[in-house]
Amino acid sequence: MLNINKTKTNDAVLLSLEGRLDTVTAPLLENELKELLPGTSALTLDFGKLEYISSAGLRVLLSAHKAMAGHGSMELIGVNDTIMEIFEVTGFSEILNIR
Amino acid sequence: MNIDLKGRIDSNNAPAVEKNIQERLAGANAQEIVLDAAGLEYISSAGLRVILRLKKSCHDLKIVNVNSEVYEILDMTGFTEMMPVEKAYRVVSVEGCEEIGRGANGKIYRIDQDNVVKVYKNADALADIQHEREMAKLALILGIPTAISYDVVKVGDSYGSVFELLNARSFSKILATEPDKMDWCVKEYVSILKKIHSTLVPAGKLPDMKETVLGWAHFVQDYLPEEAGKKLLALVEAVPHDDHMLHGDYHTKNLELQNDEVLLIDMDTLAVGHPIFEFGSMFNAFVGFSEQDHEVIKHFQGFDYDTAQRFWHKSLAAYLGTSSERKLREVEDKARIIGYTRLIRRKIRRQGLETEEGRAQINFWKERLLQLLEKTDTLLFSSNELEIEAVTEKLPEVQAFVEEHLEAADCPMKAKMQIGVAVEEIFVNIANYAYAPEKGTATVRVEFSKQPVTVTITFVDHGVPYDPLAKQDPDVKLSAEDREIGGLGIFMTKKMMDDVSYCYRNGHNILTLKKNL
Repeated sequence: MLNINKTKTNDAVLLSLEGRLDTVTAPLLENELKELLPGTSALTLDFGKLEYISSAGLRVLLSAHKAMAGHGSMELIGVNDTIMEIFEVTGFSEILNIR
Repeated sequence: MNIDLKGRIDSNNAPAVEKNIQERLAGANAQEIVLDAAGLEYISSAGLRVILRLKKSCHDLKIVNVNSEVYEILDMTGFTEMMPVEKAYRVVSVEGCEEIGRGANGKIYRIDQDNVVKVYKNADALADIQHEREMAKLALILGIPTAISYDVVKVGDSYGSVFELLNARSFSKILATEPDKMDWCVKEYVSILKKIHSTLVPAGKLPDMKETVLGWAHFVQDYLPEEAGKKLLALVEAVPHDDHMLHGDYHTKNLELQNDEVLLIDMDTLAVGHPIFEFGSMFNAFVGFSEQDHEVIKHFQGFDYDTAQRFWHKSLAAYLGTSSERKLREVEDKARIIGYTRLIRRKIRRQGLETEEGRAQINFWKERLLQLLEKTDTLLFSSNELEIEAVTEKLPEVQAFVEEHLEAADCPMKAKMQIGVAVEEIFVNIANYAYAPEKGTATVRVEFSKQPVTVTITFVDHGVPYDPLAKQDPDVKLSAEDREIGGLGIFMTKKMMDDVSYCYRNGHNILTLKKNL
């Protein structure tokens, strides 16, 4: 299960994720981002209530990061230790902006 | 009238034999003729014609004590269908013979070095023997290692069936005399039990154990408070129908080690149903029957109560693939509900309520049964193996299955997520590639070992041979622009597990994950 909570102010978007970002749920986030990204210059993903991320979730993050690179910024907040370790193992901690 | 047939009857002496018989019958006006073939060695067609003519003159004719050679002739020529023909049964004595096994219907004795005989309790045992032979044949055809009897003999007033069993020892004897073989016995015992429980039985071939247990529950209901009785019935009712085989009396006296081969020797209780019913009878065999008087088990199995309890717990742990005390207790409690129900019914039917001792026993079981009913909501339990359609939609079910086992083992949060990531990766790989574009199944097995506490998760599929570990690891130092999307999952799996291995065996991809907890 994945709940996505969206808060939009002008061209800044905050997505709060709650639950699991896996093979089954990643397409939900992917579709959400596909709609949002063109009109967004500042994207924040709140991982505070995210319990789990797999490679399918990482793939969505990487393509979002690449898509934002041209016209804005993407940052992650509230990343817990376990998920942080996954970012480190995969080199994502070097690529993503994690606050 | 009884007439003895002796030696050989062929065209040389048939007319003489017939004349002899006619002389005896003359004037006797026999309504019934019994031909005693105990001394008959051979009969040719000339002899058969004599019998046929006799049959015409006296309708009520039967042949008894027929040896196996003569029986074969009578059978081949259709005589066994025309008249009652009873085989001669070899007489066997079991006096002074070692009792090596004990089943629901009788005891098993070794009569010489190569043979054992199962002596049936019932007077009308021929039907039981026939039934058990049918059961054993069915089990053998379905792949269960069992012995099939080759002869029926007379033992005192009852009948026995003879099996060839060379140098065999029962598991009970091994446990009683070689305590250090306990773990080996557990392993073999559980491996055959799993084989039985994974055997699908064609519909209608075996009785449904659920019906039997429902019968017990209905009986016992009348002796319980109304609510408890209803609950007992509802619990049994809620167990789904299952066409997998159950042994029904699976204890260590029914398992024989013959050279290196393990054989089941008592097959008359075969049924189909959910494994919890089997556990109910296993609990009784090792614990239930001797819970109040620990001497009972010594008399029955030859080993002590402590050994029995350890064997039962170790077997349950091995079967469920867990060492979690909580999980074991949970399943044992369900087995006890069935076990106590059966014990109470059995005792009441044997006039247990009429003696003080009997009432005390029944109360002992009843008290426990009521406590268990209070806290139990289902008789179902999960095993450590899940067979599931390999499609990504089933991922949440796979994750829930693995997580349940991890939680029962008090797995730390972080390891739980890392294992989840690895499990997802492997399962999704199978779902996407193993059978495409067709569909197939994957089996997921979760096992724990102690010291160090390690969880092993095994994935088995029978799709195209594919080693996901052979792929080169992605370069995690590359910048976002150069990173490729893909290959990350297997890399994460390798990094976060303590061991990942793959092999292709007998048409199966087998991938194993290990994580120290």
